[in-house]
Amino acid sequence: MKNEFKDGFIANLPIGISVFAYGSVLGVLCTQKGISLYELALMNIFIFAGSAQFVMVDMWSSPLDILSITIAALLINLRYFLVGASLSPLFVNSPKKDKFKYMHFATDESWAITMQRLKNEQITPLFLFGGGMCIFLTWFTGTFLGFYMGEFISNPAKYGLDFAFVAIFFALALSMFKGKEDLLPWFVTALVAVVFEYYFEGKLYIVVAAISGSVCAAFMKREERVNG
Amino acid sequence: MAEVSISSLLLIALVAIGTYSLRVSGLLLSSRFVKDEGPFKVFLDHLPSTLLLALVVPSILKEGILGLVAGLVIMLCMYKTKSILLSLMLGVLIVALSRNFL
Repeated sequence: MKNEFKDGFIANLPIGISVFAYGSVLGVLCTQKGISLYELALMNIFIFAGSAQFVMVDMWSSPLDILSITIAALLINLRYFLVGASLSPLFVNSPKKDKFKYMHFATDESWAITMQRLKNEQITPLFLFGGGMCIFLTWFTGTFLGFYMGEFISNPAKYGLDFAFVAIFFALALSMFKGKEDLLPWFVTALVAVVFEYYFEGKLYIVVAAISGSVCAAFMKREERVNG
Repeated sequence: MAEVSISSLLLIALVAIGTYSLRVSGLLLSSRFVKDEGPFKVFLDHLPSTLLLALVVPSILKEGILGLVAGLVIMLCMYKTKSILLSLMLGVLIVALSRNFL
């Protein structure tokens, strides 16, 4: 049983390298936004969700818009509801206590590796936990390294570092592209975002555009079922 | 912990509690949702990508022509390599070069 933890840890090491690299980007960005090392550490430990942390740091301002940031971060993390749901075969023989203990360590990466392994092998939640710890450590050390590097960069815009947010979010979104049925919802999202951002103050355009695009996708699916 | 303000502590706590609840409730309520292929699941499936897209599109446009070029290069790179890290580096490189040399 103990070996499952180790197996999970080792299986996540290759992807852990890229997690380390993203983490260092987040660390650099934190220094630009005046986020302290303690705040970064608290986010890493208690939130432990890469994309949401990037969004939070991007929206970080003084004074903090707590409501908008919380809504945006939790909307990004809504997918963890589905991640949790898809892990039910792994926890089929586990007591409730294990579910509460290990689910915090389900990240995109450790989840993907676990699901892949679950197809061919009998594994226990310890595999997910081991993988999650691997991602946790690489993420944590990556962000701290970035934070210390960031303090030496006096003019981040010169190196295009402010554009790193945009580039990473865009690439992440593209990695979720499922096929041409996504084209219309994505177009709706982009259009609503641009128009709403132009006419209204604040960050509300993010949530409004995302909901518009996702509603569009849901409607298209319904049409397809009615007609098909 | 003098470097942590009350408002950032509150924000982090709210997001942390919400995120943990989502992770656990998905697993505990799974039987009702996993098989569901209805509109609600499609809506949830699309939220992460549309949210990220909504965040970036206005910023790309504000960067001007070179923002668009960087965006196109990122698309091409993701299509060819599927590497987020490489795409990120190319996008940042284009913007950095344009700001220093154009």
